[in-house]
Amino acid sequence: MGEKIISIRGLGKSFGDHEVLRKIDMEVSAGEIICIVGSSGSGKSTFLRCINKLERQSTGKILYHGKEVRDVQRDVNEYRAKVGMVFQSFNLFNNMTVLQNCMVCTRKVLHLSKEEAFDRAITHLKEVGMAPYIHAKPAQLSGGQKQRVAIARSLCMNPEVLLFDEPTSALDPEMVGEVLNVMKELATTGLTMIIVTHEMAFARDVSTRTVFMDSGYVVEDAPPSELFTNPKNQRTREFLSRYLAG
Amino acid sequence: MGINILLTADPQNSFEWMLFLTKKYYKMFLEGTWLTLYIAVLGTLLGFLLGYIIGIIQDIKTGQGDNPVRKFFVNLMKSVAGIYVEIFRDTPMIVQAMIIYYGIRQLGIDLQPVFAGILVTVLNTGAYMAETVRAGIGSIDIGQREGAWAMGMSPMKTMIYIVLPQAFKNIIPEMANTFLTNLKMTSVLNVIAVQELFMAAKTVGGNYYKYFESYLVIAVIYFALCFLFNKIFNLLEKKLKGKSDYALAVEYMDNQ
Repeated sequence: MGEKIISIRGLGKSFGDHEVLRKIDMEVSAGEIICIVGSSGSGKSTFLRCINKLERQSTGKILYHGKEVRDVQRDVNEYRAKVGMVFQSFNLFNNMTVLQNCMVCTRKVLHLSKEEAFDRAITHLKEVGMAPYIHAKPAQLSGGQKQRVAIARSLCMNPEVLLFDEPTSALDPEMVGEVLNVMKELATTGLTMIIVTHEMAFARDVSTRTVFMDSGYVVEDAPPSELFTNPKNQRTREFLSRYLAG
Repeated sequence: MGINILLTADPQNSFEWMLFLTKKYYKMFLEGTWLTLYIAVLGTLLGFLLGYIIGIIQDIKTGQGDNPVRKFFVNLMKSVAGIYVEIFRDTPMIVQAMIIYYGIRQLGIDLQPVFAGILVTVLNTGAYMAETVRAGIGSIDIGQREGAWAMGMSPMKTMIYIVLPQAFKNIIPEMANTFLTNLKMTSVLNVIAVQELFMAAKTVGGNYYKYFESYLVIAVIYFALCFLFNKIFNLLEKKLKGKSDYALAVEYMDNQ
């Protein structure tokens, strides 16, 4: 396993009295593909949003290459530029074309030249098969196409880690495949990924580690070969049996 | 010339009086129109600028992680902005004009009526616009911002490059509305002796004691101006809507 990129120490999150995350510890090393599974409301999306600092944790801390990411805007911005995120609802910028979507952050955050930003955008759009659509606006694309553009957009930042928040949950069934295929391709490039998903087959086949979460706890964290065939915990077993039976 | 026949030195009915007054005082009406436009355009544009600044200030959020100095400063700015918006939205423009004009003159500053008129228009527009901008920003899905934040874009840049362009498009109709309102509201500035259209009609009407006809003349002018601008704004809106189709970039098509 590669060097440690992100260390999560005692991460907790409460919304008012409601405790969503309870003292989570996790290490993320280079090259790992971690799938987080669990039923709705188990806190997995909140956990992912905390990792990207879109939610501020109530307790605990996040270390990036051994250094704590402080809650100072500048630190958070720098950290986020290295830890990208792909959303369930795509969140492409509606006022921009596909090409502009892929260039605005490299231009305004990384301060790349126009040519560099353009080259990167085209390279990654080709990877996801969306290069012919550079002049289209998000509203003119299908869900699967939007998500592929969103992935390309995140890749343009050359992130060290890419977070996926249920990237296929908002898609029609026939579009899920095209997005999962892109993600499988990415997995072979050595990019570190943390993926919150309901796609059990994908988690089993692609992840190097599968994490099962339930009511804010990490219940089980094991290679998929173990977790899917020989789950240690009763809750994990119940969850999986419901999924795999269907 | 045909029209000259109508312009008798001795007008008999209201229509003839309108033509007579228009011909005799066309210079005054023109100057009034010009001043009305000048104040409305300048006042509205600067008012929009003010409104955007105030609207953005009111949208700034402070988190628990911010340092206390920044928090205090942001809250102070927000309070000042809030009080300003409340005062100007809750008092009539005609009263604001009197208070600002006479208030500043009492301080011993020689304030020109036109300048005071523009100032009042700016402050009034700014207050209304601030609310419009705030609503416009609020209408943009939070996901748009999160998409930018998640890639390391600062909240300010996100506002400038992602949120405002979209909010701007949404509030164009309201901005056009505000401008048309301002064009007509400049008429209240006659109370501080600005020589705009209303003042022109008042003066002209007084000369012959023909108020009805004189005000009819400026009613036509106001109507024509607003009608014209309305059409221009409609065109502008259509143009900003953009194309509904797009061209495939064939140079990047694979031969699959």
